Amino acid sequence: MDRRTFLKIGAGVVATTAMGPLPQLVSCLQAKETKACAKNKWGMVIDVAKCVEGCTVCMDACRKENNVSAGNYWIRLATIKPKVPNAKSQPIPLLCNQCDDPFCVKVCLVKASFKRQDGIVLIDEHRCIGCRYCMIVCPYKSRSFVFKHYEEITNPDSPKRQHGVVEKCDFCVSRIDKGLMPACVEACPNKAMSFGNLNDPNSEVAKLVATGKAQRIRPDLGSKPKVYYLGL
Amino acid sequence: MKTYFTKIEGKSNGFYILLGILGVLAMAGLYSSYLMFTKGHYLTGMNNQVPWGLPIIITIYFIGLSAGSLVLSSLSSVFGKTEYKGFSRIAVYLAALLLVGALLSLGLDLGRPERIMLAFFYLNPQSIFSWNGFLYSSYILICVVYLWAMFKEKDKLVKAIGTLAVIWAIGVHSGTGGIFGFTSGRELYHSPLTPPSFVAAALSSGTGLTIILLVLTFKVTRRFLDPQLIFGLSRLLIAFILVVLYFLAVENLTRIYSPASYEATHFLLFSGNVYCLVFWVGLIFIGSIVPAIILFIKKSIGWIVFSSALVVFGVLCERFIIVIPGQVLPSELFPGYEVSSPFMDGAMGSYIISPLEIIQAVGVLAIIGILYILGLKFFAFLPEGKK
Ligand code: SF4
Ligand code: SF4
Repeated sequence: MDRRTFLKIGAGVVATTAMGPLPQLVSCLQAKETKACAKNKWGMVIDVAKCVEGCTVCMDACRKENNVSAGNYWIRLATIKPKVPNAKSQPIPLLCNQCDDPFCVKVCLVKASFKRQDGIVLIDEHRCIGCRYCMIVCPYKSRSFVFKHYEEITNPDSPKRQHGVVEKCDFCVSRIDKGLMPACVEACPNKAMSFGNLNDPNSEVAKLVATGKAQRIRPDLGSKPKVYYLGL
Repeated sequence: MKTYFTKIEGKSNGFYILLGILGVLAMAGLYSSYLMFTKGHYLTGMNNQVPWGLPIIITIYFIGLSAGSLVLSSLSSVFGKTEYKGFSRIAVYLAALLLVGALLSLGLDLGRPERIMLAFFYLNPQSIFSWNGFLYSSYILICVVYLWAMFKEKDKLVKAIGTLAVIWAIGVHSGTGGIFGFTSGRELYHSPLTPPSFVAAALSSGTGLTIILLVLTFKVTRRFLDPQLIFGLSRLLIAFILVVLYFLAVENLTRIYSPASYEATHFLLFSGNVYCLVFWVGLIFIGSIVPAIILFIKKSIGWIVFSSALVVFGVLCERFIIVIPGQVLPSELFPGYEVSSPFMDGAMGSYIISPLEIIQAVGVLAIIGILYILGLKFFAFLPEGKK
């Protein structure tokens, strides 16, 4: 994305976000039309060796940024442990993989789940009918249902979801569109996460992926995840 | 021999009392849906691990019953078995009602039911669910035309529409099975056998329900029901039970033989406590083997109705087994690892049906009941005949 298109989109986003969640979504759809977006393919590389067990920084930052409802998680720190004696446990953050071939988008009967041209998978929460089919098919358990209306709004700039729709990580799309990093990436004190454009060979993420050491979770399922892990 | 059809009187006290009871149940069901709609789904037993619960079970159950009774209705019109003509109208009507019930249950379960119309505006050709929206609504339409043709005694048209209806019923049911079968990544869902075994279960439960309702309706309205007709249906029922068992055997043997799905199948069949119970006791023993044996050795209307009820119950267990265990079992994100997280990754989910969901399901059933008896009153569905 060159500087000028970036500014244009940025200005559009800023102008429309001021009007509330619906226009913001429209702005995403408009951004979808611009060429600039298609050039990008956002991805993430997480070095789990830098993760600390019991740490909640990324989860807290996410919750605060995105008004995630209680009990739901857009990112969660899981612990994995090989099923062998005396194995060491390893913390690992799990979030929506922003799959390139997303099952959730395929099954959504009203196309409320959709993939933007830059590869981010979004949910139009004004269209979602709450059928939860997407939750059934997402192999990564990345989606949560808003079971209860919640009053507590931590970030007034972020959309507020009503109960009865599905929510999930959107790579902090409104931050990306402003040129910022996702909240979890920015918050991690150990810089365990890198975020960037997989299509740009000079980006940090592309370089890390090019080393061949970055793995994805269950790529055999065929959804082409775009979140990579180092040190697994 | 020509069959004449008549309406029921619908003026007795019994009729109004029944209507009243059903009305109360329906109101209770709608009220619990209203609570879920305004307060949120936390009132149900569903959670992020098991987002599909009783309403989805009821939906696919009713769709199955509907497809089954539609196929039965076509025995006379399409397959030329004129002795079954007496109940063809009521079977088509029942098929349409059950599908309405299924859609109602599905619609009331949505997080945002007020947006249901969006499903017709934004079709997603890649989503089997989206296709089903089209299949379901056209199915109801076909039933209506089918009934109309029957009322007008247009035999050729009846035959044509009847054939279409049977194909549609199988399509609708396969499509519903596809919602589960096409789900890769869930061991207990992903199977090409799901659509055909859905059809088999539809036929057995549909036949069971039709038998029960026929005997009841004819008895209550004091009409003569030819026992041969019920005996014929009961022979069909045996065949359908055996087909269901056959599909279950093939599906589970295939799964347990393959290392990839061994654990999941083992869970369902042997270690998943309540799910094993529902599978072996509910579905296999009470719902299939016992009625099959009874149907083989006892040839009386009473026993046939009893075993039909068992089959109808067994298929409800089957629907439960299809929907719930596949979700309860966590998806294997890290094969060979133990996984834990605050979001219950790697842990068994649980689903405890909440009273509200049950009231809602009973309410939907009551609505079908109301429409059924009102239908008998206003349309000539039942063959004339004295007792
Ligand atoms: S991880 Fe799940 S929710 Fe995220 S894009 Fe992939 S299939 Fe969709
Ligand atoms: S719950 Fe919403 S986003 Fe998910 S498939 Fe249904 S309509 Fe689409």
